[in-house]
Amino acid sequence: MKNESGFTWKLGMFVVIGLALFVVTIYFVGKQQNLFGSTFQLQTKFKTVSGLEVGNNVRFSGINVGTVKDIELVNDTAVLVTLVIKKDVQRFIKSDAAASIGSDGLMGDKVLTLIPGTFSKPPVKDNDQIASRKAVEMEDVMSSVKTTVDNAGIISAQLAEFSYKMNNGNGALSKLVTDEQFSSSLKSTLTNLQTSSNEFAKFTTKMNDGKGALSKLVSDEKFGKTLDSTMANLQSGTKGLSENMEAAQHNFLLKGYFKKKKKAEAKKQAEIKKQAESKRKNTPPVIDSVKLTTKGE
Amino acid sequence: MVIYLKSIFNDAGNVTLFTARFFKEVLKPPFEIKEFIRQCYTIGYKSLPLVGITGFIMGLVLTLQSRPTLAEFGAESWLPGMVALSLIREIAPVITALICAGKISSGIGAELGSMKVTEQIDAMEVSAINPYKYLVVTRILATTLMVPLLVIFADGIGILGGYIGINIHSDVNLVRYFSQVLASLDFIDILPATIKTFFFGFFIGMIGCYKGFTAANGTESVGKAANSAVVAASLIIFIIDMLAVQITDLFM
Repeated sequence: MKNESGFTWKLGMFVVIGLALFVVTIYFVGKQQNLFGSTFQLQTKFKTVSGLEVGNNVRFSGINVGTVKDIELVNDTAVLVTLVIKKDVQRFIKSDAAASIGSDGLMGDKVLTLIPGTFSKPPVKDNDQIASRKAVEMEDVMSSVKTTVDNAGIISAQLAEFSYKMNNGNGALSKLVTDEQFSSSLKSTLTNLQTSSNEFAKFTTKMNDGKGALSKLVSDEKFGKTLDSTMANLQSGTKGLSENMEAAQHNFLLKGYFKKKKKAEAKKQAEIKKQAESKRKNTPPVIDSVKLTTKGE
Repeated sequence: MVIYLKSIFNDAGNVTLFTARFFKEVLKPPFEIKEFIRQCYTIGYKSLPLVGITGFIMGLVLTLQSRPTLAEFGAESWLPGMVALSLIREIAPVITALICAGKISSGIGAELGSMKVTEQIDAMEVSAINPYKYLVVTRILATTLMVPLLVIFADGIGILGGYIGINIHSDVNLVRYFSQVLASLDFIDILPATIKTFFFGFFIGMIGCYKGFTAANGTESVGKAANSAVVAASLIIFIIDMLAVQITDLFM
């Protein structure tokens, strides 16, 4: 009997550990499929599920919170997808939440992503139906890629045309790029411009620092004052001169000359008056003729 | 030729009768519980070190061997899942069953064969003990129940071996490793693999018992019984495995 109990406990330990291992594995695998613990269901309708399968994960904020329980074709344009989700997250999913189908990596499984709704809305209830968002299909991506590629084709064709014109055309830009003569003349122009600007620079330095008349005129203050006083002297000089002239007019020696000058001037003015009068006389007949023609009618 | 074919059909008929007798006897009292427990001990517990070491090495080697291929695709993070899946679905059940075929089936064949040759079985019948119930039913039941347990141990130890294998090259902590393993597992991976191990166990015990029980007179037939038990059991394990894969495929 003693011998028997010696192996019985070993056998018992063997069996218990083995069964425990099995049960624990089953439990954890089942836990991942939400078979144990409280869950609730949601439904959503898609036009296409793009290869979503029963058992795929449901993600909310990037966390796996449930699985796809059932996929059923309702009619020719709608697929009803039933989700099993952990009860814990029910209060975070608002009634205006939406579902969309995405892909887990480039080659990975499809996942159903729940987009959280507005904070103020009440949370979803069991068996509610939530909205769905159209999944990004590979075809859509391809078609947009195609447009991009087409545009790139047009751009490159135009670019080719442009560069051809640049090489062979006669426009200013193409000459700028290709014509050697043009560039050499441009270069000489620039050289001339440089020399002239150098000269101008020299000129301005001379103007600022030089002792010539012009530079003094521009920069020397003393010269300016001198010029000013000269001008004042000149003014008083001319006043005196005009007095002298008045005196000369009344002088008997020079009276005759001034009288002759006055007469010639008066004559000239009379001639101008005459001419103006003759012009006035010539105009009225023109007006009469106009009147006559109107009467004749 | 006819005689050869006739002997094959004769064998097949005997095996069928032998199996049918097992199912008849297993439900009929009295039950030899004490002997059954003793057999469980020798078959299950005594095989554990062998199965454990094999499982550990399988996990370790499988990890190290798959690693370069997966690293080529930059998919080293799939290594735990892949190792666990291949261990649980295929490698641990088959390797464990083959080891049990070598250790248990041959042991039973030799034991029962020598009992038959030395006429101990006849003596039991004379002393009003049903030798089939006492020797065969207890052994077949023990193998049927113990081999699945051994496979579960092999799975667990093999996955631990995989953990060590991964940590030779990179650094993954135990929690992360097991979460990756569990993430890749599904009931469809575990249940068919477990169910088929019951069949492995049943046939390992049944073939060993049949070969031993039907040993002809003479000492050399003991060795023959042991040898042919191992060969037949190994062969039938592969056949069952193939059938199990086909049946599992139907439900996938």
